[in-house]
Amino acid sequence: MSKEILLDVQHLSHIFPLTKKTALKAVDDVSFEIRRGEIFGLVGESGCGKSTIARCIMNIYKPQSGRIIYKGIDVCDAKEFAKNKRMLQTTRQMIFQDSDSSLNQRMKVCDIIAEPMKIQHMTPRRGSLRAEAEFQMYYVGLDAEYLDKYPGELSGGQRQRVAIARALAMEPELLVADEPIASLDVSIQAQIVNLFKHLQKEHGFSFLFIAHDLAMVAFLCDRVGVMYRGKLVEIAPTKELFADPRHPYTKALLSAIPIPDPRKERARKLIEFRDEDFLCDGELIQEAPEHFVLGRRKKG
Amino acid sequence: MKNSFGQLIYFGRKLLFFLASVFLLSVAVFYISRLAPGDPLVSYYGDRVEKMSPEERVWAEEKLGLNDPIFVQYIRWLENAFHGDFGISYKYKMDVAEVISARIGNTLILGGIGFLLIFGLALLLGILCAWYEDRMLDRIICGIGTVTSCIPEFWLSLVLILIFAVNLKWLPSSGAYAIGEADRLGSRILHLILPMTVVVMGHLWYYAYMIRNKILEEVRADYVLLAKAKGLKKQSVMLRHCLRNVIPSYLSIMAISVPHILGGTYIVETVFSYPGIGTLSYESARYKDYNLVMLLCILSGIVVIFCNMAAQIINEKISPRMKSDAVTVPAEVTKV
Amino acid sequence: MAELLEIKNLSISFYTRAGEVQAVRDVSFSLKQGEVLAIVGESGCGKSAMCKGIMKLLPADGKIKSGSIFVNGADITGYRERDMYKLRGKLFSMVFQDPMTALNPSMSIGTQIAEAVKVHQPGITKKELHGRVIELMQLVGIDRADERMKQYPYQFSGGMRQRSVLAIALAGNPRILFADEPATALDVTIKAQILDLLREVQKKLGTAMIFVTHDLGAVARIADRVAVMYAGKIVEIGTAEEIFYNPRHPYTWGLMRALPGFCEGQETLYNIPGMPPTLIHSPKGDAFACRNEYALSIDYEEEPPMFRITDTHYAATWLLDERAPKVIAPVGRREDE
Repeated sequence: MSKEILLDVQHLSHIFPLTKKTALKAVDDVSFEIRRGEIFGLVGESGCGKSTIARCIMNIYKPQSGRIIYKGIDVCDAKEFAKNKRMLQTTRQMIFQDSDSSLNQRMKVCDIIAEPMKIQHMTPRRGSLRAEAEFQMYYVGLDAEYLDKYPGELSGGQRQRVAIARALAMEPELLVADEPIASLDVSIQAQIVNLFKHLQKEHGFSFLFIAHDLAMVAFLCDRVGVMYRGKLVEIAPTKELFADPRHPYTKALLSAIPIPDPRKERARKLIEFRDEDFLCDGELIQEAPEHFVLGRRKKG
Repeated sequence: MKNSFGQLIYFGRKLLFFLASVFLLSVAVFYISRLAPGDPLVSYYGDRVEKMSPEERVWAEEKLGLNDPIFVQYIRWLENAFHGDFGISYKYKMDVAEVISARIGNTLILGGIGFLLIFGLALLLGILCAWYEDRMLDRIICGIGTVTSCIPEFWLSLVLILIFAVNLKWLPSSGAYAIGEADRLGSRILHLILPMTVVVMGHLWYYAYMIRNKILEEVRADYVLLAKAKGLKKQSVMLRHCLRNVIPSYLSIMAISVPHILGGTYIVETVFSYPGIGTLSYESARYKDYNLVMLLCILSGIVVIFCNMAAQIINEKISPRMKSDAVTVPAEVTKV
Repeated sequence: MAELLEIKNLSISFYTRAGEVQAVRDVSFSLKQGEVLAIVGESGCGKSAMCKGIMKLLPADGKIKSGSIFVNGADITGYRERDMYKLRGKLFSMVFQDPMTALNPSMSIGTQIAEAVKVHQPGITKKELHGRVIELMQLVGIDRADERMKQYPYQFSGGMRQRSVLAIALAGNPRILFADEPATALDVTIKAQILDLLREVQKKLGTAMIFVTHDLGAVARIADRVAVMYAGKIVEIGTAEEIFYNPRHPYTWGLMRALPGFCEGQETLYNIPGMPPTLIHSPKGDAFACRNEYALSIDYEEEPPMFRITDTHYAATWLLDERAPKVIAPVGRREDE
């Protein structure tokens, strides 16, 4: 893993207006970076703004403030985006949680995988688009017989593999996956996580992995960011975060990981995180070389 | 205090929108009716028009105010309308408001009772079908509905007249009452049966089917399972839970359907020569009775616009409670 | 302790256009008063269908094909709808996976709880009813009950909704509570709270519970006994200690090894290869055979019977036959051993 920064998110904020007088601050002054070839995990409870960040990075939402620098280009700037549109659209790819609705039910698997290549007028390296799709399918562990099936005929795990194949067909440099395993069965989850790990090693793309399952994040990610109510409360290398959590919310989150062992599990004490302890106006403070925690800077 | 002010603004806006729509409608109808081919003098003078000399025609047009540019005519009409004068009917030589008020009662009886019947029967049939989903009764009702709703209203009217009026001679084929029996309720009811049947048959199935599917959609929801698991009987689940969630959207759809059903009444009236607004509209458009056309169109337009707005308001007022997927964890709700 | 619920050779099928789907195949187990039985398995293994089947809440195309259900010794298999609604809520009640859809969106929480109370106590006065609703809401840990009972589901968070569902389920003082993945859709921190609440309430009221889940962590926290289901059958059943510390069925091993906690420091997570079978055609032999790395040739021919390990521990695998080769379980030994 190199130190080169691929994606730099700086002071990102996104607000959803609810009514004329109230608004939902989904993301509040969030900064982090993803390095080339790194798997970065983003965890937090539902509604904490993880998905909103992913969508801002993918230009699905336009953030209210802050900058998202990808390969030196500010993707939120309309002019710069237009100039580099093709590059941005091909080298960043996304996988969604619900493969049931993120794949078009009326398209065959083959066409789903080939569609981005068709849109970008890419000349398939393996002769035809179909051959290319077949190669990608093989790559994610699906037989060619599924090429002519519709998403509805596949199981959840298989559909998620198709979504991965579609994203990888563009040979992305940044892959964003929003809760890609949350709706799958335990044994299938393990298959998909293994696949991610394997593919990342082969391709070397950077990977933003969004999840609420801490155990999987611990297994897969190099670095982890913990989010609470729209703010990043802690960023650290995975091992360091799990061994030495600093922020009380991270501690609460880690204490909630279930242990599949009746005696240990029943002895486990939950650490509660009270809302009052949350510094909504704090900032990330460096506590160790790679370890940042939300807090208040000491004056003087 | 602040809240009631907000309400005032809300309804003020709606009213403004309403008035603007009515104004635009009047302009459109005014122009289009005059652009259409035909001679308005025929409806005033009848056959005499054919014998008129060109000078006489000019004089006649001037008398009715038809020789000015359309724009000027419209301004004059608008001015009079503001004072409550909508002009006279060329055919009846009477104030148009009087012509209409003499007939509107008949249409309201036919349309109003028809609407209530459709509303109630659709609900009943919908619930029955949902209750017996995919069983015999459901299939029979749905089958009849599919066939009946495909039959055009005018054709159904003719068939019914043929059977019940011509062959069986049980029911009268036209009019609102027998001559000289205008005050007899029995006569009026007899005359209502056939047109009412057609009005109801034409619309009932569509709404019944909608209710059925909406209830079934609710029946599949998880909360129905919970309601059953806590020990509620099927009828309580169906009526207290499912129907309750269907009714708001049904109300708003029924509000939109008022003009739809009204349009159906117009056709039926024409076929049965039922003296209502429908026959009147048909006649007035045919004979270029401009003033009558104007007022009829505006009245119908007001009903349509009003019902659509009512539906919109029903939706807006009820929907926030129905939103189960509304924001549940307000992470950071801030005042902007 | 007496057997509160006894299931004998229960089979449930769904008759779909594609054919008969055998969701539950020949399942037998029993439940004692005040006991928590966890049923573990992947989605589609028939665990939900079984619960709904026992409560007779199956969708129209689902039927109990054979077997019998005894409650307190009485056979309720043949009960019709009008007999069943007298039992539901009072004898058994249910909590569902998705608290977002399990509540009627257009009724206030208080009304929905009150409705459940009224079903079982039709003559209750308004004042008593109000008191009972408040009592139930406090029991499941909803603060400011007086105020919150007037609110609608959309004003509640996921965890609070699940608490409300639990309050509704407990309104009739049920003897058995079916909990169908009650914590799966919730956030990690809330999940543990709901599990602890279930356990606490269950202890306090002495309710027996059937806890359906795919999460072994949750099972470890809450269950007295565990049944592992695969492809419509119970493949292993035993006390929690037996299942976690001495599992005998290869599928149970697979489930445990797939947990990231077991693979710490390894490059890849263990996973059970392949996918669960669709149950349209009943597979020949052991349904798990083709995914089982320990499969014997007999597994493809004949379905294994339940082998007895202890009085409480049974598993359906040919590995337990005395002729089978000895296999050392890859998981399940206690660390202090």
